[in-house]
Amino acid sequence: MRYFTFLLALVIIISAPFFGQVPIDFNNLSNPETVDYKLFWDIRLPRVIVAFFAGAILALGGLLFQSLFKNPMGTPYTLGVASGSTLGVAFAIVFGFPSMVSLFGFFGALFTVIVLFTLTVKLKSYETNALLLVGIALAFFYNAALMILFYLSDESQSFEIIRFTMGSVDVVGLEKTLPIFFSSIALLLLAHLYKKELKLLLTSNNYAYLKGVDVKKVNTILLVAVSVAVGVCVSLTGPIGFVGLIIPHIVKSIYKKSAEQLILPIFFYGGVFLVISDLISRNIGVNTDLPIGIITAFLGGPFFIYLIIRRR
Amino acid sequence: MLKIKNYNNPILKHISFGLEENENLIILGSNGAGKSTLAKVLCGITPSNEVSINGINLNKFTNKERTKLINYIPAKLEIFDEYISLDEYLNLSRLHSLLEPKNMLKLLDIHKLKEKPCQQLSSGEQQLTMLGTAVLHNAKITIFDEPTANLDPKKSRDVYFLLKSNIFQSKIIITHDLNLAYRLGYKVLYIDEGKIVFFDTSEKFFTESNLNDFFGLSVKKIEDEIMVNL
Repeated sequence: MRYFTFLLALVIIISAPFFGQVPIDFNNLSNPETVDYKLFWDIRLPRVIVAFFAGAILALGGLLFQSLFKNPMGTPYTLGVASGSTLGVAFAIVFGFPSMVSLFGFFGALFTVIVLFTLTVKLKSYETNALLLVGIALAFFYNAALMILFYLSDESQSFEIIRFTMGSVDVVGLEKTLPIFFSSIALLLLAHLYKKELKLLLTSNNYAYLKGVDVKKVNTILLVAVSVAVGVCVSLTGPIGFVGLIIPHIVKSIYKKSAEQLILPIFFYGGVFLVISDLISRNIGVNTDLPIGIITAFLGGPFFIYLIIRRR
Repeated sequence: MLKIKNYNNPILKHISFGLEENENLIILGSNGAGKSTLAKVLCGITPSNEVSINGINLNKFTNKERTKLINYIPAKLEIFDEYISLDEYLNLSRLHSLLEPKNMLKLLDIHKLKEKPCQQLSSGEQQLTMLGTAVLHNAKITIFDEPTANLDPKKSRDVYFLLKSNIFQSKIIITHDLNLAYRLGYKVLYIDEGKIVFFDTSEKFFTESNLNDFFGLSVKKIEDEIMVNL
């Protein structure tokens, strides 16, 4: 069954660039003179690549946040990291740093993690719901700040911000996919490197400490790594919700294994989920290209409510 | 070997005592007296500057060296991930022991629970599991926080013999089970409201007058048994 799912997912990913509102002629793919060539290599393929690696970062980031904060709802989104990144991007748009949009997005994410981290030290425990409440408070705060930016922005900037907050994996040119590709691979490798420590931390921080883990150091490295990757991701795609929350939960409930053994499946299926969401967004209507964030929220929202009900 | 000198925090007051090489200790005291708080300070979970082992401040050891010296088994199993199985948990805990997790499963008679997630074990089974991890960790000093609190009489007895055996190097046992404390015969430290009020041998502690002072009418000694007076 798992094998079948994996193969099916693989087929979907490979065939994804060929589906779209304009059919592509296979014979033209090696001929740079044709429109099909440009459509495939500059638009469709980069888009699928970005969707896959963005999904992978969000899902793995979700898993790591859930594990390190010991909270099934702790993801870079619920804790405000993505909102921070969004705010950074909006700031860059409004105050005229269009070339540094990614950098601002990244610092927005990093700043939020520093705030969360300082507060968890003050709260003396990672294992409280207080952190989630802090995340919600941060989200309100960022939202207010975003409103100020809207107020200050002109029409085209407003539109740019709104479009950004809907989330999109629309990029042009294969070279644009490189930052997200490298940051997702780096995050994956780092998670693998700290697999043993992660497993010890998955029991409790005290237990990990007694078994010789430098809890603070490992937490810091992994949380900063996730924030960097999410920062890169959000600055490119905008905030795409629910992937980080639902993919770890689904994969866990299928595999029934401890989180550190699921790093690779969660990375992979996070990517698959966004590729499918993007496929739907590209093909659902005629001449429309629905923002991907809408699709994931439509799929994710009801599922999340289902999860809450089932937990009872 | 283990020493704490004039430690103070909101719960504990002027805590100073020392243990010699291979010496064992029983820590007694009423609920909320500060026993577990003390244990967390001794093993370093609560950071302090006042604990030393072999004359060296606990903070000065590397993480790995520290694991060889001290371990703490809490009263309740804390585990966040719902899928970590008993077998995996034992494997994680094996640091300095020559024994293997499968020996532990046999020794504690929990072999059939091997694949079961730790979260789904009963509190007694969890307690046995934690005891198993203590053996597999094999630190020089192991602190046990109420190791028999959730066990049925037979398992309590098994655990008594395990503690009595020489499988652990040096033990500090926090307990409310006076009979266990009495039978083990280790040095006794009694804490009351965060202060050490007794620190001496078992013989000196378990006298009629002392029992009366510390426990009043709630405990009585009948022949060679310490009983809760009901």
